[in-house]
Amino acid sequence: MALNRKIAYIDLSKGKIETRPIPLEVRKLYLGGRGLDAYLLYNHTEPNIDPLGPDNVLLVSAGILGATLASATSRTHIMAKSPLTGFLGSANMGGFFAPELRWAGFDHLVIKGRAERPVYLWIHNGEIEIRDASHLWGKSTTETQWAIRKELGDEDIKSAVIGVAGENLVRFANVMTGIKDAAGRTGMGAVMGSKNLKAIAVRGTMDIKIAHPVEALEYNKKFITQITSAKVSQTQGRLGTPFIWGATNPWGGVRTRNFQYNQHLYADDIEAERLDEIATETIGPYHMAGCFGCQVHCRAQYRIPSGPYAGVYDEGPEYTAQGAFGGEPECRSAITVLTGNHLSNQYGLDLLEAGSLISWAMELYEEGILTSKDTDGLDLRFGNDEALIEMIHRIANRKGWLGDALAEGGLRAAEKIGKDSIKYLIHVKGMSNLHSDERATPALALGIATASRGSDHLRSRPAIDLYHLPEEVLRKVYSNPISYSGPLSSDHREYLGKPWQVFWQETCYMGVDCLGICKYHTTFLGATLPNFEDWSRVLYLNTGLEMSPTDIWTVAERACNIERLYNIREGLTREHDWLVDRYFDEPCRRGAPDVIGAKIDREKFKKMIDEYYEHHGWDENGVPRPETLKRLGIDKEPSHLL
Amino acid sequence: MAKEAMANKVLMIDYQKCTGCRLCELICSVKHEGVSNPSRSRIKIMKWESEGLYVPMSCQQCQDAPCVAVCPVKALTRDETLGRIVVDYDVCIGCRACVAVCPFGAMGFDHIDRKVIKCDLCDGDPQCVRFCEVGALEYVEAERVSVLKQRDAAQRFSSAQKTAAAIQAEM
Amino acid sequence: MEREVMSTAESLAKTRTYGKFRCHNPSCMERITVPPGATRVKCPHCGLEWRVYWISPDFPRIRGPVWDVNQKLAQEAVAKKAKRKEGK
Repeated sequence: MALNRKIAYIDLSKGKIETRPIPLEVRKLYLGGRGLDAYLLYNHTEPNIDPLGPDNVLLVSAGILGATLASATSRTHIMAKSPLTGFLGSANMGGFFAPELRWAGFDHLVIKGRAERPVYLWIHNGEIEIRDASHLWGKSTTETQWAIRKELGDEDIKSAVIGVAGENLVRFANVMTGIKDAAGRTGMGAVMGSKNLKAIAVRGTMDIKIAHPVEALEYNKKFITQITSAKVSQTQGRLGTPFIWGATNPWGGVRTRNFQYNQHLYADDIEAERLDEIATETIGPYHMAGCFGCQVHCRAQYRIPSGPYAGVYDEGPEYTAQGAFGGEPECRSAITVLTGNHLSNQYGLDLLEAGSLISWAMELYEEGILTSKDTDGLDLRFGNDEALIEMIHRIANRKGWLGDALAEGGLRAAEKIGKDSIKYLIHVKGMSNLHSDERATPALALGIATASRGSDHLRSRPAIDLYHLPEEVLRKVYSNPISYSGPLSSDHREYLGKPWQVFWQETCYMGVDCLGICKYHTTFLGATLPNFEDWSRVLYLNTGLEMSPTDIWTVAERACNIERLYNIREGLTREHDWLVDRYFDEPCRRGAPDVIGAKIDREKFKKMIDEYYEHHGWDENGVPRPETLKRLGIDKEPSHLL
Repeated sequence: MAKEAMANKVLMIDYQKCTGCRLCELICSVKHEGVSNPSRSRIKIMKWESEGLYVPMSCQQCQDAPCVAVCPVKALTRDETLGRIVVDYDVCIGCRACVAVCPFGAMGFDHIDRKVIKCDLCDGDPQCVRFCEVGALEYVEAERVSVLKQRDAAQRFSSAQKTAAAIQAEM
Repeated sequence: MEREVMSTAESLAKTRTYGKFRCHNPSCMERITVPPGATRVKCPHCGLEWRVYWISPDFPRIRGPVWDVNQKLAQEAVAKKAKRKEGK
């Protein structure tokens, strides 16, 4: 049944593999996916290890509902200590890898040590084999996947792989599967590279028994209708995540020229609708693809219409790429966005981090902090599309002084560059911010400041805040399954009640990350999308596990606290839950009339953080209170249950 | 629905609309076996990921079916009420001659139950069709298939002509 | 298998509207009814103008601002605010 998937411990130094069942009691505590990974990371690493050394563990997992009838049960989670931030590293990807891992008999992989030479893992129907990967080293992410299929003679193999960026230990290299599904953030690809692990190939034909198949089928039909009838899902199914650009750039919520402006003026060529036209022109009217089991199909297919990469096939781009290769470097060409997306996918590079750091370097160049000597003659001014693309190559290959410096991530690069460079870096905990400009949205600002993996919009963002929903709607969403009677405000420029929304969303996203469902199928971008009530039902029908919405909430809370404990163990303090000065000191200069002048108020923001800690049951330093840990049953960690 | 109408219905696949999500494979294996396991699904999406091409493949319920012809024990017969080929498992000896002969690869072999498997149109309510929201799979009257395809082709033809005319006008 | 109580999501789905969208001006956020097929619309409440894209014939969305108009309105508003400040 869905609960009998195993955990495998793979020691690459010793070539030793051990598989074990996952006890039901552990399932009830953490479900699976990110929650259980967080527990494993805390339990299987020593404090203060080198993230790129053999002592780091790479955790790869499927959610407990992976491959079942719960809509979009496609997500793969990857965790390790981050080589970018030194704190929690965690990334999540769609596609088809996690379902295949489950059909092959496994839910969790704990990969330790370091192989002597390049290897890949071959996992099939309960068996795990460590194989030579010398011939795959140097290959792109897609070349690697196709080569493994050819070598093993099975076109249905799904692989999670690293590209050249991961091999070169670029500290924000990602892990990829398929054409463009990326476990993008916090440098999980560099951890794989440091272990000499090029790929994890999986293929399985083992049953996952559905607990109540007839009811699960019928409920799934209803569930899908609930999801696809939401207006936001229809929009996303048509335009992909770039549709968000139309909800943020028009009023001034997109950081531009690194962080000088909050709106990308006249950037019509990179709007979602234009990107959709290109996909239509190059692929045809049916150019949207889906991850496993998903009826939203938000992934566009395209061919680059012109330029040096004309005719090349890829998928995306996502909202992230519009900012990374459009807004932040102030480039206006769709071709640049599509090309940047393609190169990042092929190199296995977190494009968000890459675009953000290149834009930072552009500001440094214009400020004279970087000179053409540092750039090896590259004219790294804003709006220079060719320079932007060239920097992607240099970072992935660690080419030139600047390419090598940026490959180390923002904080390390700032040390190398020196002068005032750190002042211009837009980051939290050493990880670059998304291109969204949160100066007019305190709730979103609080989310990125406190996210457990460093600046991040997918950990706790109350994105529906942007819709100015009526208070009674907000109350319905945010008082469930845990009651909340404090203040809530419809205005996204407000501070009031926002900490609760951030806390609620954080718990919500942790919940789906444990289940293995896509965040776009939660109350993320639409208030009518599923949440705890619905998950309790699908969990029961598919696995037989009876857990109330509140039980799932508690699992998520427990997992969030384990992540917090991990970060604190690695040196995190309250000061790390903070934004760079520009958020407080430089007001917005573009956008809608009342957005101009907006900035975050330091004092109010401090209070927000206090309140957010309070909701979590953490003290004023952000440390979980003993009674919180006791309530969640994690007051004696590490407990080594698994 | 009248029996004659059912007898005449076929599973129509429009691969262009397929998003490659494989929900049909999941639905099929849950419906027939109570498990999530695409290797036991009667329908399968063939993929060419490097160019984004996804093609669902399933039994065509052929009029002159090679599987029926090749079966040495007459375990495969045509069920006229639903216009489908059915397997009589009491008769089937599991020789897999039908698997070898099917030109579409649509006759499968269930490696767990050790039996041949094929699309049974879910007794007239194909669940893959019901769950495919993009309409890549439809269950329609056989004579409608060509009309629908003609309409689709005509539309593409006409839009191509418009593009050509626009290019000519620019020249 | 029907549940007796409507979930939060189900009850909220009943409040969906079609043929209109909310103005993207955070100080406004009023619903704008978009004439069928229109590619531009002016918010009757705050005056900002938006370029429109249609997801389906009854489902419009904001594609982007009408740049010249909205920039001008924003600059005027900022100038007014500055003046008010001076006046104090």
